[in-house]
Amino acid sequence: MQSPSPPQVELSQVEREALALAVTESRCATCLRSGTPLLTGLALAAAVQVLVPRLAGDYAARICLDAGIAVILAVSLNIVNGLAGQFSLGHAGFLAVGGYTAGMISYYGSLWLWGSGGVHGGWFGAGQALFLVACLAGGGVGAAVGYLMGLPTLRLRGDYLAIVTLGFGEIIRVLFQQTQPVLRTAEQFRAAGWEQFVPPPVGGSLGFSGIPKYTNNFWVYAFVTITLIVAHRLKFSSAGRNLISIREDEVAALAMGVHVTRWKVRAFVIAAFFAGIAGGLFAHESGIILSPRDAGFQRSIELVIMVVLGGKGSISGVVLAAALLASLPELLRDFDQYRMIAYAVLLIGMMLVRPQGLFGSREVWDLWRRRPQPVVAGKGAA
Amino acid sequence: MNGPPAPRPLLHISGLSLSFGGLAAVQNFSLQLPPRGLYGLIGPNGAGKTTVFNLLTGIYAPDRGTIELEGVSLAARPPHRIAAAGIARTFQNIRLFGELSVVENVQLACALRSRQHLVATLLRTPAALARERAIQQRSLELLALFDLQGRAHEAAQGLPYGHQRKLEIVRALATEPKVLLLDEPAAGMNPQEKRELAATIRHIRDAFHVAILLIDHDMGLVMDVCEQITVLDHGETIASGPPEQIQNDPQVIEAYLGTGD
Repeated sequence: MQSPSPPQVELSQVEREALALAVTESRCATCLRSGTPLLTGLALAAAVQVLVPRLAGDYAARICLDAGIAVILAVSLNIVNGLAGQFSLGHAGFLAVGGYTAGMISYYGSLWLWGSGGVHGGWFGAGQALFLVACLAGGGVGAAVGYLMGLPTLRLRGDYLAIVTLGFGEIIRVLFQQTQPVLRTAEQFRAAGWEQFVPPPVGGSLGFSGIPKYTNNFWVYAFVTITLIVAHRLKFSSAGRNLISIREDEVAALAMGVHVTRWKVRAFVIAAFFAGIAGGLFAHESGIILSPRDAGFQRSIELVIMVVLGGKGSISGVVLAAALLASLPELLRDFDQYRMIAYAVLLIGMMLVRPQGLFGSREVWDLWRRRPQPVVAGKGAA
Repeated sequence: MNGPPAPRPLLHISGLSLSFGGLAAVQNFSLQLPPRGLYGLIGPNGAGKTTVFNLLTGIYAPDRGTIELEGVSLAARPPHRIAAAGIARTFQNIRLFGELSVVENVQLACALRSRQHLVATLLRTPAALARERAIQQRSLELLALFDLQGRAHEAAQGLPYGHQRKLEIVRALATEPKVLLLDEPAAGMNPQEKRELAATIRHIRDAFHVAILLIDHDMGLVMDVCEQITVLDHGETIASGPPEQIQNDPQVIEAYLGTGD
């Protein structure tokens, strides 16, 4: 105690007003409250869709697509791993669940409505609408699976949770391997009895081919925008503080009245929702055949690496890391057969130089802030 | 005792017991804490003081016994609901949310009293924003009352030790408790700081209208501020009464100094 507190209960009016001023000025985040970020994001998405292929070519547009999907996946995983501090190794499971759900809806929906599984209608045509519904349904089913899975497992901590979520991803992978062949024509689809839909006809270990290829940069970056807005609003609100308090000290969070299990499940459901949407986008990407491997361990690890590299909890750091790591294998093509080695060396190097991630748990705009941010050194003075 | 009749207890604890395996950590612990009471819990290291706090806050479930706050039973409730019912605590080994800022630590606790739907938060409705601002304002006010407002935006783990202890108290008060449990708030302080802490504790009791239960293994602070003291040794209550009586209790002296052979 530096100085004894004067016996005083309330502040004077002047002091209160000074504080109120500090409150309204302290958060630049409040200026983001309106629909501005969403509209800006959609405009940017349209710009990426139109300009990138013209200025940089189709190949660059393709890399943008992959990077955008990686950003959605990594930022959503960051809500669980970074903010709430729950080490999940099964995020790709939600990607696959969402992807297969969305793929089934758009493929069999197209067969049913239009008699063929191909792309239907032009820009903003009926096909695009079906695709949008399919992606949202993928997110919804992802969130539902996240809820069912989160409720029992999130009582576990640390390593145990990691192992259980790892198992979850593998179970999803194996389940999708046990599915039936895809029904190829509208006649087959109409003639099929219920036993051809249980288990669903999504191609087994060969993968689900034939999904109409609706995904483009506009849709990907529209969903990137929504993901970022939700992640940002979550982090800079009392909801985000609840999640971070769980990461920092679960016992203290409980003692301050935080319903720890409920918030963990919420984080999990939100993350699974966006992973499901990313799955939907991924499934409809051209040149992709959705396969059970996409639910696997390796995919989940890649996402964890993005979060760790970006800085746990830092949205902007994770965006940068995800975009970088998703496009790096392509950018390193010059190294030819050594490119995966170069990739690994880069990862090791970055972890040695910045073990806390690119920005630690801070955001990129903190670097330009006037107020000196305390340098985090060691664990407290206790 | 021939004083006025004791007021109806705010916190009524009776027959509280907990064993870990064969070890009786707390046996038959009873306490009546009146509104605005300032009671102490002392005992040598390992006597079971912190275990009592963990039982009161729901970290452990008691084997036997009852805990009632204003007549409502709290035993077997989860910790977050006990906090909502009005029991807040500090921790012996400081447990701040290190990477959150000082004011965010308080904001988190403040939010307990104004809940809001997650969807409203994500949509940034005007009501949600107003609520966030009200919480921040209230938190800064609380910090100002304890001379911490100057460090409001620093990371909590960067605060000096004394400030961290103070911040834990502010955070606990921000949940607007009826009962405040302080677990060794004087640990690591010199005599001067302890005297100041004693003044702060009395002030908190009067200003925030809370009943306080204070743990310390050192007699000094407790003797100074507490009206009633309970002494624990090996999980058992060996004495209970006003400070003067405790000071001269042969069993207490024995527990602290040994039998002398």
